Amino acid sequence: MLVDLIQQLFNGLVIGSIYTLVALGLTIIFGILGIAHFAHGSVAMFGGYLTFFFITTLGLGLFPAMILAMAVGALLGVGLERVAYYPVRDAPPINAFIIALGLTLIIEKSNLIIFGVDQVIIPTGFNRVFNVGGVTLPELRIYILVITAVLVVGLTILIQKTWMGRAVRAVAQNRPAAVLMGINVNAVSMFVFGLSSALGVAAGVLVGALFAVAPGVSGGLVVKGFAVLILGGLGSIPGAIVGGLVLGVSETFASAFISSAYKDVIAFLLMIGVLLIKPEGLMRRSVAR
Amino acid sequence: MSRVIFTVAVIIAALAFPHVITSNYFIHLAVLAMVWMIVAQGTNIIQGYTGYVSIAQGGFMGIGAYSSALLSLDVGLSVWLAMLVAPLITAAAAVIAGYPSLRVKGHYFAIVTLAMNMVIFIVLVNWIPVTGGEAGTSGIPAPEAIVLGGLEINFERRINFYYLMLVALLLVMVLVTAVVRSRVGLVLQAIRQNETFAEAAGVACWRYKLFAFVFSASLAGFAGALYAHYLSFISPAPFSVDHSLNAILAVILGGSGTLVGPLVGAALTTALPEMLRIAETFRLIIYGVGLVLVVIFLPRGLVPWIGDMFGKLRRGAGGSEESL
Repeated sequence: MLVDLIQQLFNGLVIGSIYTLVALGLTIIFGILGIAHFAHGSVAMFGGYLTFFFITTLGLGLFPAMILAMAVGALLGVGLERVAYYPVRDAPPINAFIIALGLTLIIEKSNLIIFGVDQVIIPTGFNRVFNVGGVTLPELRIYILVITAVLVVGLTILIQKTWMGRAVRAVAQNRPAAVLMGINVNAVSMFVFGLSSALGVAAGVLVGALFAVAPGVSGGLVVKGFAVLILGGLGSIPGAIVGGLVLGVSETFASAFISSAYKDVIAFLLMIGVLLIKPEGLMRRSVAR
Repeated sequence: MSRVIFTVAVIIAALAFPHVITSNYFIHLAVLAMVWMIVAQGTNIIQGYTGYVSIAQGGFMGIGAYSSALLSLDVGLSVWLAMLVAPLITAAAAVIAGYPSLRVKGHYFAIVTLAMNMVIFIVLVNWIPVTGGEAGTSGIPAPEAIVLGGLEINFERRINFYYLMLVALLLVMVLVTAVVRSRVGLVLQAIRQNETFAEAAGVACWRYKLFAFVFSASLAGFAGALYAHYLSFISPAPFSVDHSLNAILAVILGGSGTLVGPLVGAALTTALPEMLRIAETFRLIIYGVGLVLVVIFLPRGLVPWIGDMFGKLRRGAGGSEESL
């Protein structure tokens, strides 16, 4: 029983770390621009397909392909911000949401035309399986945890230690004051979109390596990402990390011990429950909405 | 005055439609468009007038559709009665869902309702003994024929169902107009503009918000019931989040917070994807691009924009100001 628990905990953390990556991108964008970037999932899916393409057609290794795809994703993100979100920055938030829906359609269907309808599994070559005291630890899953940890640490350093990161935090805290201090908000927006989209692509690649990327995967990913945001608190980076892991673990436990068909229902009920008891999210003290 | 003439003209056009355009395909599209008009009108109440974006309308439509279908199939209720009970069941579900979720605002509310839609969808797919799962439920009866002055009206005929839909839509419009013009409607708009202020002015906002949420959900449930008995087959697919988003789209496109806007928007969101069928592969891309362009360039929606245009024309001609 204990082995079972640890096994499910491990599986949950792996899935949760992917949710964290998706949610980090969403939460930074929300914190800076107040936009629910619904197209984030389709950017992630596109990134997964792109990485597969780089590996199989161009013959790149996994990590070069992933980094290249993240760079392309970052460019795509900047493009989305400039072309679609920037013009509606002063309109009601729902307009940006509709834009996001439009973008989702555009990206998903373009993806369909470029890469076809088949689902693809990104080949990694990490096929070893370790066994520690009865707990099965596939090599790939350990790497997923490591990659996520590296990205999260990198992001934290970027946000906490660099000048650009300080500008991002300043805009998130008080936009008018940041503008008065001479921060270029446009540059911050573009930077944030680029950064988030790169993280989204990384999440797409990990999903593609662990399960598969398929045309329908984006909606599920982005909704899970939003669920994490609710759990952790909108706009909070520690919230996205904790929320992602909590969601992943509770979902795995629910599917292992209660019902796999209803695992998403249980995850969402958890989210609604958190919202009712602590509407500002698990990791936030003040209510700033 | 011009508004009355306009309304009468639209109703006459709608009455004449199936006799002018006799193609079954277009009548079918018109019926579907009217289903979506009712859903969109519900979305408009909660989103356009109250300012709370609910992404659960598709799910509520599903609750209405399945309850009406199952009441007539398994319980053996008359279809007319089932179609009236279905919105009540939907309303009950909406009370349970709305009471907790209306405690949060803005994006939180939108995301919670989105999750609710997914919960409803998952239950529809997995509760196989009752809903039939993804394979769906078939053989749902059309409403029983009624005899009017020796003339039997059989609703298995598409054209008769078209008129039934039209009557239902008119009833909904009358109801929605009455609600919007009443004191309740004013309070809802006050909540949209400044909830804190409305609260300070002594309005128990949560009651009105709950009313708006439940009312909009029961309209979606009603539309779902009509949809089920029209197609005689339902599966969970049309009640997914995508279709909730479609309803929101219809409201934004037509003009949120106007009575005519959702009608225009729902007609467009039904017709446009069909019209773009010529460019099969690119159709949804074109649709997406169009969507982005409309939101950027006409942020208030088509109907207020057209209204402004007319207003400008009239002022140019020295006439009185009156908008749609």
